Amino acid sequence: MKKTLRASQLVGLGLLIGLLAFSVLGMAFSPYSISQQDLNAVLDAPSSAHWLGTDHFGRSMLTRMAYAVGLSFALGVLCVVTSSLLGTALGVWAVWGGKRVDHVLGMMVNILLALPGLVVVLLFAAIVPGSFWILYLAISLVQWVEYFRVVRAITQNVIQSPARQSSEMMGFSRWYQFKRHIWPAIAPSVFTLAAFGGANAILTMASLGFVYVGIQPPLAELGLMTVELFPFYSDAPWLLAQPLVVIALMVFGFHLLAGKRV
Amino acid sequence: MSVLLKLTNVAVYVGDTCLLEPISLELRQGQPLTILGQTGSGKSLLAQAIMGLLPDTLSFQGEVEVFGNVLSLEERQALWGRDLVMLPQEPWHALDPLMKGIYQVSEVYQYVQGKPNHEALARAKQDLDDVGLADSAHKRPGQLSGGMAQRLAISAATAGGANVILADEPTKGLDVSRRDGIVRLLQSRSIAGSLLTITHDVAIARQLGGTLLVMKQGRLVEQGDALEVLDNPQDSYTRELIAAEPKSWTEKPLSSVDTSAETVLLAENLAIKRGGRTLFEDLSFSIKKGEVVGVVGDSGCGKSSLGDALLSMLPVSAGNITRFNNTAKPYQWLKLYQDPPSAFTASVSLGTLLEDLVRLHNIPRERISPLMTRLNLPDAILQRNCLNVSGGELQRFAILRALLLDPVFLFADEPTSRLDPITAKDVTSLLVTLARETGCAVLMVSHDPDLVRKTCDQVIAL
Repeated sequence: MKKTLRASQLVGLGLLIGLLAFSVLGMAFSPYSISQQDLNAVLDAPSSAHWLGTDHFGRSMLTRMAYAVGLSFALGVLCVVTSSLLGTALGVWAVWGGKRVDHVLGMMVNILLALPGLVVVLLFAAIVPGSFWILYLAISLVQWVEYFRVVRAITQNVIQSPARQSSEMMGFSRWYQFKRHIWPAIAPSVFTLAAFGGANAILTMASLGFVYVGIQPPLAELGLMTVELFPFYSDAPWLLAQPLVVIALMVFGFHLLAGKRV
Repeated sequence: MSVLLKLTNVAVYVGDTCLLEPISLELRQGQPLTILGQTGSGKSLLAQAIMGLLPDTLSFQGEVEVFGNVLSLEERQALWGRDLVMLPQEPWHALDPLMKGIYQVSEVYQYVQGKPNHEALARAKQDLDDVGLADSAHKRPGQLSGGMAQRLAISAATAGGANVILADEPTKGLDVSRRDGIVRLLQSRSIAGSLLTITHDVAIARQLGGTLLVMKQGRLVEQGDALEVLDNPQDSYTRELIAAEPKSWTEKPLSSVDTSAETVLLAENLAIKRGGRTLFEDLSFSIKKGEVVGVVGDSGCGKSSLGDALLSMLPVSAGNITRFNNTAKPYQWLKLYQDPPSAFTASVSLGTLLEDLVRLHNIPRERISPLMTRLNLPDAILQRNCLNVSGGELQRFAILRALLLDPVFLFADEPTSRLDPITAKDVTSLLVTLARETGCAVLMVSHDPDLVRKTCDQVIAL
């Protein structure tokens, strides 16, 4: 499938792997925990004890950033996997399952599309504040629609193609027809959507953290850290910059990986 | 008779490879010139070289003289529309799909000839009346049939006033009856100037008359007066081309089907409706084992629908279809498609596709290689995917796949209409021979009555 990645896609992949490595190494080797306070050393500049400085409670920024990046990646990957599997499966089913299935799924999708995505996520987040799993559920619920629509449109063409018809006539199973005809046609679009979807999931979680309905303190989350450190932007601008730069890098990495516009 | 267009040693190269060997020709007023040859013979390159449309990767040598002056590439491009015009191969690609026909023609009067709006429209209307499109003037190209779209394209192309017309396969994909109309229209358009036609169809060359050039792999093999060359060809390639025309195929031996052979399929009083229109009614016929049944008719008359209905892929609106062979599995009722590349997935090699089939139905592997030899398929194609194999090879591969399943009935939907005449002849005769040998009934759809008459045991005209 991924025979050749273009240079820009490799840069994107490298960026994401670098961030992931930072997160894993930070969580594994940092001597501090994310909630360990040292009120004698608040808003410290980066030093040999605290490589990225300390926040307003004297907590190690490096440790907190490592956990926050890890959390964002976990959510991004989980959402992408869930929504792409769900969207692709339902998209193919809508075409293959006949008119009735298509109508029911189409109606569900239209209802979801009528609501702005962030509002749906906010609604879920407001029901169970601070739950990682409810965020995951809500974001996946919003994102599968995109996969569904793209996959359904492409599959409709493939289903009617002589190539698939001929395979069916020769007695090949539906799984075979999917593997040989449908998947090769939809795979490039699904990969591109997945890369953008990863970036969107991370941005959504950060947005919710920023308005205090996402992950709750004392956990470390990029959006939450941004809003917590916001009052200290003139005293310690390097602190506020850290979550912002990392969010930008993650989104940039995913978009580079996507390689093309949908 | 003035010389309108004169080529002196025109050649086309890509890098150091010669695609079109030096060729010289003259196009005189009122004397049409036809270039005959198979796909890949460099015909279209020549037309592009004359127009100045060659891609940048190709280099051009030689001189092109238009109306007695040697002109450079830019000077020739300045003649486009007003003096020199090229008709594209497929009208669908040349017309604006969203614009109504009449405006596509009136635009030319307005912007190329600089006529005021109302006069341009009036002239466009007159043009469309002349080619019999008066009722379809306000339709979009998608609503027109192939022949109508080609007539519209010709009207638009010649509205600029050009007298020298280059037509590249002007009748590709058209029915025989439509084909003659287009050729006559082109002839009438070029009375004041001249017509250079590129085709692989011997019938068109015969109809146009004038001078004929036969090309093979970028080389001129024969030239002369069209009728003389066609009636008395000197070169073996020309003879082969002429022999490939269905009209000149040898008559099939009579009564090649055993009358006592069991009936495979019986259709009684069939009728098919599509989109609220009845395509045909009260059609009854039976097909015996090993029999080749031909279906002819113009496009849109329901030939393909009939085949699909027999394969239960389409519902019939009335009548019965009875299948007699009860032991046959569903996968022994198969179809061959018109456009070979679209009938295969490009995601894996042909070898993988064959392997899939062998594994699914437990076909003994030792059957493959004799059949490949029989169908003249080299082993090397199994490593390639369907986009890197020629149309003829691919269609033979399709036949191979079908035959491995021991089909009882094969619906061949214009299996050779996208192939070159020589290849088409090979594929058709192989299909027919193998069907008779294996006792497989074949329903062959074609728009060419000659082809059907020469190959089929029974003909259904729709």
